[in-house]
Amino acid sequence: MSTELIIFIVMIGVFMLCCFWAKLPVGVAMMLSAVAGCIVGGKGLPVRHLVEGTFSYIDTILVISTAMVFMKVVEKSGALDALSTVIIKRFHRYPAILLILIMLVIMFPGMITGSSTAAVLSAGSIMAPVLLLMGIDTVSAAAIIAMGGLMGMVAPPVNLPAMIIGGGIDVPFVGFGIPLLLLTIPIAIFSALFLGLKPASKMDYSKVEAKLNTEITEKYGIRIYIPLVVLILLMALTKIFKVIPDIGMPLMFVVSAAVGMFTGRKFNIFQTIAEAVHSSLPVMGILMGVGMFIQIMTLTGVRGFIVMTCLGLPESVRLIAAGISIPLFGAVSSFGAASVLGVPFSLAFLNMDTVYTIAGLSFIASLGDMMPPTALAGIFAAQVTGVEKYTAVLKKCMIPMIVMVIYGLIFIYFSKSIAAFF
Amino acid sequence: MNLKKYKHAITAVCVLGSLAVAGIAGKDFYDFRHYEEVIIPGEGVTSTFQLSDYNENLKGTFGDTTVYVMEGEKEGGSFLVLGGTHPNEPSGHMAAITMIESGKVEAGTVYVIPRTDNSAFTHNDAQEASPHFFHIETESGTREFVFGSRASNPIDQWPDPDVYTHQSGQTLSGSEMRNINRTYPGVKDGTLTEQISYAITNMITTLDIDMEMDLHEASPEYPTVNATVAHERAMDMASMGILELQMAGVDMSLEPSPVTLRGLTHRELGDHTNTLALLMETGNPSQGRLHGATSEELIIDGKDKFYEKAAELGYLYIPYDENGASLDMRIGRHLQGCVEYMKAFSDMYGAEKGEIIMTGIPSYEDLTSGGKTIGDYLN
Repeated sequence: MSTELIIFIVMIGVFMLCCFWAKLPVGVAMMLSAVAGCIVGGKGLPVRHLVEGTFSYIDTILVISTAMVFMKVVEKSGALDALSTVIIKRFHRYPAILLILIMLVIMFPGMITGSSTAAVLSAGSIMAPVLLLMGIDTVSAAAIIAMGGLMGMVAPPVNLPAMIIGGGIDVPFVGFGIPLLLLTIPIAIFSALFLGLKPASKMDYSKVEAKLNTEITEKYGIRIYIPLVVLILLMALTKIFKVIPDIGMPLMFVVSAAVGMFTGRKFNIFQTIAEAVHSSLPVMGILMGVGMFIQIMTLTGVRGFIVMTCLGLPESVRLIAAGISIPLFGAVSSFGAASVLGVPFSLAFLNMDTVYTIAGLSFIASLGDMMPPTALAGIFAAQVTGVEKYTAVLKKCMIPMIVMVIYGLIFIYFSKSIAAFF
Repeated sequence: MNLKKYKHAITAVCVLGSLAVAGIAGKDFYDFRHYEEVIIPGEGVTSTFQLSDYNENLKGTFGDTTVYVMEGEKEGGSFLVLGGTHPNEPSGHMAAITMIESGKVEAGTVYVIPRTDNSAFTHNDAQEASPHFFHIETESGTREFVFGSRASNPIDQWPDPDVYTHQSGQTLSGSEMRNINRTYPGVKDGTLTEQISYAITNMITTLDIDMEMDLHEASPEYPTVNATVAHERAMDMASMGILELQMAGVDMSLEPSPVTLRGLTHRELGDHTNTLALLMETGNPSQGRLHGATSEELIIDGKDKFYEKAAELGYLYIPYDENGASLDMRIGRHLQGCVEYMKAFSDMYGAEKGEIIMTGIPSYEDLTSGGKTIGDYLN
């Protein structure tokens, strides 16, 4: 048994013990497993490495905390209730079309930011009440939102995993629009209909109508929507039209949330911010733990061991290995999986169409955002719909996720033919 | 056990523990950021100036860096060597330092920048677990050199946008905005990284530098490795150099600079200045994603069992076995390359612009089978 394998087993073992026996938070468990890896790997207690590993997620943490504040503000101001009411009233007769439209709305912030978290916490949180009013149970609604987040982060114009893989082998981010649309749109439609059409078709509008909150719209009029409009406007002006400098997602969320303090119901902003930060703390802790975990994996050679184990498989099963290992490694980070495994696999598949292959790999890598313990898309989707245990969302998403992997692998295998066709 | 009873004590322990960790790590990062790497110029260096002479915005920033001038007694052409574009690619950095410490220019003028992206020398890439330093034995004792990051320090340039749009319109992952070799020709008052690349472009234009070489390393599994990438105007000269390199036992391929890949020295310096823009890559096992435990030994010996396995499986683009790919060998490739391209320049343009001749630096053979190490050429 190689040293690296022993270190890896110890790290995983300590993580499991901390999580399931000592019932420690996942972030703390990951930190302790990283420390165990250092000790077993003969590296002592390298404080610098443990801290340095967390730096990769500083920006992500800022996005998460500010997006959560925004979400709480639009919820407390009444904007969510108002928007849900309008959408249900207008589209309740056409559930399939409504589901597809909702899916596209959820995807939109992810498409322009490249972040599933941004999609889930902004559009996802706004669409959650609509899905629930349509008669979809909370777990299925969370599953739709999570899948929307994944599709959004992969769909053009911005796909960060593809940029990371392309950057690793000097392939410019050009020509990715069509392959990414071919990958995401069919799966987005399939996921929305598979997860939501059955309950939505049974929606009894007369019952739903009684639950609709029409008072908010009557009282505040269209000004209730201003924070949402501000957010969409800021995203569009900086990311699509690029007429003003990119102020970054955290500031966009903060500005929109600040506007939301004056456009609807009154609420205590300090309490709201505290609630938002409190609810996002576990995920922020997980990200810190994951950062340490990856750094120590690299330091001790476990990362190289994992990459070479995957690449060392026979050529005939290498594609399947990519389909399994990339999402699994995504448990620590989808971007990490794109960088650590996506780059070597894209080099291993150089005989295929490079752009379409990278697109396919990025599509598969996005599944990392559903993999516990990080599971950014899944955990936040559960939060915005009020689902207590994320694992229920993961189970619900299993079939769309398996379809995603199979579709992505077929896409890579036939990448040359598909690219030639387009 | 009811932990709620000890809530305040646990909180206090956590806060104190966090402060201790922050203090220890903070001191480490601060010291590394302010570490002054020692370069001991040899007699070949005739003067120095600061890069900020070509963009005053760099003055007093971590982007400013020293340019070493090596002027020959005989007039001739001019040559700029960029080492340390990516400080996690140590053979480029060390080849430039070797020129400064042991080289002597007989004809022409050679400008050497050993720390091109100085800011990138002040930190390491998160999750790459790189050592801060590596050490080389020299006659004067053990010398310490910095192993830095591929990109400028986020303390100097933060935050990264989600997407980096180069002035040509090319889009890349946001963190590439801190990669100087994606920001050429640069922007005078842009980000720190763009300011550095602007200063280099401006310096080449102002001094009318005839030839430029950017020294890099790539992971062994990357296809463009053990290669020279040349701008189209430099292709003929590079072809001559490649032939000479083959004669000297250095296997080197020649790649044309892709027109669609923007922001790189071999494309933008070739397009925006009159210089003949070249870039060389060697294979660095400490840089890729396949290597085992990170260590100083990996940087210096370049020996790694996972890369051996990868070579057996046909994944690598460099010859690789149990002997690894040592730093000495990689520096030897770069130095031999520079010598051969100087010769090729002199052959092609010597009559018009004058020759460029540098002596005193080790050849590829010296550093591989000649029984010498790079330490023998450092002061």
